[in-house]
Amino acid sequence: MFKKPEPKCEGCESPCFQDNLLLKAISAEVRERIYPHLKLTELPLGDVLYESGDVMESVYFPTNSIVSMLYVMEDGRSAEISVVGNEGIVGIALFMGGLSTPSRAIVQSAGQAYRLDSKHLKAEFSRHGELHHLLLRYTQALITQMAQTAACNRHHSIDQQLCRWLLLSMDRLKGDQLDMTQELIANMLGVRREGVTEAASKLQSAGIIQYQRGHIRVLDRPELERRCCECYAVVKKESDRLFEAFSYLPEGGSFHS
Amino acid sequence: MTATCKYPEVNQLIAELPTRERDELLDHCELIELTNGEVLSVRQVSYSHAWFPLTAFISVKAAVSEHPAMEIGMIGHEGMLGVTLLLAVDQAPHQAMITGPGKALRISRVELQELLLGCPELLLGLQHYCFQLMKQMTQTAICTHFHRVEERLARWLLMTHDRSQGDDLYLTHQLLANLLGVRRSAVTLASGVLKKSGLIGYSRGRIRILDRQGLEEAACECYYVLPS
Repeated sequence: MFKKPEPKCEGCESPCFQDNLLLKAISAEVRERIYPHLKLTELPLGDVLYESGDVMESVYFPTNSIVSMLYVMEDGRSAEISVVGNEGIVGIALFMGGLSTPSRAIVQSAGQAYRLDSKHLKAEFSRHGELHHLLLRYTQALITQMAQTAACNRHHSIDQQLCRWLLLSMDRLKGDQLDMTQELIANMLGVRREGVTEAASKLQSAGIIQYQRGHIRVLDRPELERRCCECYAVVKKESDRLFEAFSYLPEGGSFHS
Repeated sequence: MTATCKYPEVNQLIAELPTRERDELLDHCELIELTNGEVLSVRQVSYSHAWFPLTAFISVKAAVSEHPAMEIGMIGHEGMLGVTLLLAVDQAPHQAMITGPGKALRISRVELQELLLGCPELLLGLQHYCFQLMKQMTQTAICTHFHRVEERLARWLLMTHDRSQGDDLYLTHQLLANLLGVRRSAVTLASGVLKKSGLIGYSRGRIRILDRQGLEEAACECYYVLPS
């Protein structure tokens, strides 16, 4: 059983830097330097932040949106490599020195993100301080997620993969609902739409989710976790570990400042 | 290349470092011989060392329970195992095993981490390589998901050939099946096709590359997308 993440700082209703866990974990000193350059951006469903091969100009820290790293082959078939929400950053190529990514970054659940241009990100990153450390740690969690997703796609049933995908998505949102077409889910999982329809209706008739016109609501989360393969737990644990490691920080670690 | 003149074989990642950083790193490295099947890292367990293969090559694997671990990355003389140590985590994100026996340089984890603190050039070089490895993982994931076993086997043999010394590889079909994440019978079938076309020969755990160009034609695009 997993505790649902609580990304919101207490008593705060309007969009806030603290809605992204990486931005929340940094100390006051670093915040002072980068907060003025963060721009709140609307990310509509299906919006493409980067196409594969694009040179990136900025990174995104999602707050209540989810961005999927999708690999699209020449023939148009695609599959998700990793997913980034309020626990992460989109655009690690910028600081890892890769310039461009091999995948497309596409908005999987509409919402907002803080955008930071490459100049300011690189300036802070090259100080080799706290943000440098935090982003590298995040990269490790991302590597774990990528590897697990690859093995999961190979060996687990669509039913299990759909559970994993729903749980990872719900963790990154503030509620138990998600707007998503079956077509898009099929593209993420790299399977045919019929496969997703079948898996979703199984979950629906078991009373675990409610699915109507692209709107998914999770009704029975414990059961969703029970039906899921181990891959969800592996990814979740790695991401939790990252923030545990940072919770000692005197400023940023006090998660309600 | 004079880069690693202490040793006859070269690790590309080390060779590309500026002289000072390279010499400093080499001072802390020891030359070792790695044997087939040797396990170098276990997921969630701290790395003892980082390894820079010279003639050896390493399979990086991901596992889900009840299935043998499959390969998500391959590391040879172009790279290193343990690059994630620069991500400020001691534990390995993956298990890693020798699939090509041979020589490698290794440095203890602690020594590497100390070096990284005072060596921005080294950090930068390893950071770039880390991203390359992530690209390779992405490509492998997608290839595993969509491409036919035969194309994947051809790609795998090419990648291995790029990292090995001769034309012979010593592997059983079972191990190959595990790495590719498929059943043994699928590997037997696929290698039968490649053998029939005269691209490879095999007998008793030995695979010989006979026609490299033919293999390149048989492989999926993933081989070309990846820098080797």
